[in-house]
Amino acid sequence: MTRAGSHPGVSRRGFLQGAAIATAAGALVPSLGCARFLRRGNQAKAPARVVPTACEVCPNKCAVLAVTEGGRIRKLDPNPASPKSRGMLCARGNAAVKSVYDPDRVKQPLIRAGARGEGKWRTASWDEALDFTAERLQAIKDAHGPEAVVFSSTEGFQEEFFRNFGLAFGSPNLLRHPTLCLASVNLAYAMTFGTVPSFDLLNTDYVIMSGANRFESIITPDTMDLVEATMNRKAKLVYLDPRFTVTASKADEWYPIRPGTDFAFILALLHVIVGEERYDREFVTTRCLGFDELRAHLEPYTPEWAQGETEIPAADIARIARELADAAPRAAYYAGRRSSWYVNDFQMRRAQAILNAVIGSWDREGGIVPDSKIALGELLFMPWDDPVAPRVDEIDTLFPLAAQGDGIFLQARENVLAGTPYPVKGWMVYKQDPMNSLPDRGRTQQMLEQLDFVGVIDTQLSDTAWFADVVLPESTYLERLDPLHSLPGIWPVVVMRQQVVPPIHDTRPNLEIMQGLASRFGLSDYFDFTIEQWVEAQAEDLPVENPVEHLRQHGVFAAPGAPFYGSTRKPEHRFFTRTGKIELYSQRLADAGHDPLPVYTPPAQPPPGSFRMVLGRKATHTHAATTNNEWLAELTPGNDLWLNPQPALKLGIASGDLVEVSSRVGTVRLPARVTEEIRPDCVFMLHGFGKLSRALHRATGGASDADVLTTAMDRVSGNAAFHETFVTVKKVGVDRA
Amino acid sequence: MRERLGIRAKRYALAIDTRRCIDCQACVVACKAENDVPPGRFRNRVKAETKGEFPYLSASFEPEQCHHCASPSCVRVCPTGASYQRTDGLVLVDGDDCIGCGYCIIACPYDARFFNEQTRIVDKCTMCAHRVDAGRPPACVETCPTRVRTFGDLEAKDGELHVLLATRRSQFKKHESGNGPQIYYLL
Repeated sequence: MTRAGSHPGVSRRGFLQGAAIATAAGALVPSLGCARFLRRGNQAKAPARVVPTACEVCPNKCAVLAVTEGGRIRKLDPNPASPKSRGMLCARGNAAVKSVYDPDRVKQPLIRAGARGEGKWRTASWDEALDFTAERLQAIKDAHGPEAVVFSSTEGFQEEFFRNFGLAFGSPNLLRHPTLCLASVNLAYAMTFGTVPSFDLLNTDYVIMSGANRFESIITPDTMDLVEATMNRKAKLVYLDPRFTVTASKADEWYPIRPGTDFAFILALLHVIVGEERYDREFVTTRCLGFDELRAHLEPYTPEWAQGETEIPAADIARIARELADAAPRAAYYAGRRSSWYVNDFQMRRAQAILNAVIGSWDREGGIVPDSKIALGELLFMPWDDPVAPRVDEIDTLFPLAAQGDGIFLQARENVLAGTPYPVKGWMVYKQDPMNSLPDRGRTQQMLEQLDFVGVIDTQLSDTAWFADVVLPESTYLERLDPLHSLPGIWPVVVMRQQVVPPIHDTRPNLEIMQGLASRFGLSDYFDFTIEQWVEAQAEDLPVENPVEHLRQHGVFAAPGAPFYGSTRKPEHRFFTRTGKIELYSQRLADAGHDPLPVYTPPAQPPPGSFRMVLGRKATHTHAATTNNEWLAELTPGNDLWLNPQPALKLGIASGDLVEVSSRVGTVRLPARVTEEIRPDCVFMLHGFGKLSRALHRATGGASDADVLTTAMDRVSGNAAFHETFVTVKKVGVDRA
Repeated sequence: MRERLGIRAKRYALAIDTRRCIDCQACVVACKAENDVPPGRFRNRVKAETKGEFPYLSASFEPEQCHHCASPSCVRVCPTGASYQRTDGLVLVDGDDCIGCGYCIIACPYDARFFNEQTRIVDKCTMCAHRVDAGRPPACVETCPTRVRTFGDLEAKDGELHVLLATRRSQFKKHESGNGPQIYYLL
């Protein structure tokens, strides 16, 4: 209770302090000190309990120290023990407390009582909700086979149980998030190097980045390392983006490149580096395949040609190419983690990978480094029979090179809508909001409406849950023990997410939800374990004494020692590609009917009077998942349409005016923000707003980009291409807000 | 001896490297969480400003909070002595003495104070005095992803803050106020 540091010389305060101590000691003196106790509130309560855990607000899995008082989470602090999160916690991580105590949470199972999307629900017991779900799924299985149920989920520590249930149920149609995210990047690097590397930004001297707005779209440790590199060590950052993002503002050079032409820029860099013999000759000749073909292939891609495509002066392109090559191997073209943009996205990422290969940055300090990973044990349980039916998204024939287990999300939606190659009648969704994450929300809604059954597992009534038949509420991450996760990287780490407080509502961790469903299908044998046993088995072989206890105390297990570089540069190393070499020229691509070397294709251009819609992130929100968080909504309560003053003047639009944005699939209304921070041929709106769900009371502002985005896919990876949408903008009124 | 000469044992201050700030708002939310700041109110903010015309643009991001001035005008104008300065330099409000008159809110050149409708007293950044006294950094300093803020004791000659201010140029905001602000914005 003592207010440390009070000046003993000031008698009045000393007196008051004394009174406060008397109150704290239990003396029943109705003094001012009592009022102070009430006001100071939780600063003066009994000692706090600190529980290390792992954040779940975005996919970074930062280490957190949760401080609880009186059974309530008071504060989330960063845990300095994780080399991945580097002792930090971002706004979203800090705000997660509010999501636990959000009155808008789903507090018990809900069964739809009105029409789909009407928002009428009745609460149900877990038994009733699970019985209901199982009956519906069983009916579909009986009539159409198990493949008539799609199981879609996004990245999470308990996602595995959901997927295992889907497989045990017998459905081949498991869909994951990568084709709405970074599948094109992953595939391009995998096709070139046989693996997806990390970028050693902490030690880099030169980084070129296309649109991967790392200072607003936080990835650990890249975001922090890039600040350290550019601001402390004066590493150079060249940034291309049609929008003046925070990253653009921090870059040494920012080029508002003509959208969709980054590919031309990269090819021109390659042209200069190869043409001027600035590549790593020894590395290219011994470790790479197809360099001669590449050299001939690059002939037409001159900086002068690229200037015409990109609007970046040829002299600058040539200079940047020379600077990049001179800085190598402590240099890279940053791949980023960002949704793909155009239908040629894979080939553009391939060109990046090839560029990184020829400058010899592979597996060097400051370059691009294959991930290390700490091995975890596995709990062995009974295997199930593999599903027999082919996948509904026809991935094996349409996108044979793509990650088969992840599926192609948009193709699946289109096929379900068309009823080909077979009818799909049910959809189970875990921790995902396809109504916001897929382009063309009208079609996603149509898919939801045409299905016999939709079940959603989530913590809140997302837009997808809003259209569900049953909502099974999962406990939030601070209320559960999750499986361990081994996070690969240059600084690999194992993180534990342990329970900080018991569930405050009638919610369950996903494993228990899956066990509840499995028991109703006679599949309990596959889920015959507790989460503690699972974690125990995973931790068993960690090279530390009492591994589970270690993780419970520290929250993380980090690999000891400094990162090491160069092991995969040795001649005996075989790359995980068909030829065992880095494939600049890819026969596998040729065999699959794609360009074996990246051939430039110009992006479609908006018709006159239209704009290209570009997407992006802000550090205060994770996709569409956090817009109802009290503290985050306070900072970013809605979105607006970024529009350059030049077209705004022509259209008679001023900041704050209500505008209508229309594409060929949909129309939204939102306030305009007339700003110099975007190219005149583009418009931008932040993702995640314009919610349909009326159960999220703080997330009512703005508009949803999913309403206007059109469906397009990268040709090789099947990744949704998010920058292929053209919109018109017109003023419809003066926004009163 | 030092104390008799009026030399402070400690002088807490903050250095802010705005170049490192990416406007992520982690400090703002961490402060709200740590200090139960009511909805719609903030003890710290990031001031973002963009200048220029496309494509010639620049942006600046300046974290802003109480400057814990050496000669704080808020303390001078307080009629009850509720606003006071500790010997270590931190400027605080004694909730028992605050009558909510708001003089200090007007007197602050940095707009760093507000009336807290929940506690009915004037509220402001305490530099997380309760954490500092326990040997921990303020919440905004600890949580920052890019290490914008450096908190420390100016009297600790080997301390990180002292070394930083000795080796980097810095400036104050509204130095002309005569308040002697103690947030050093690094150049």
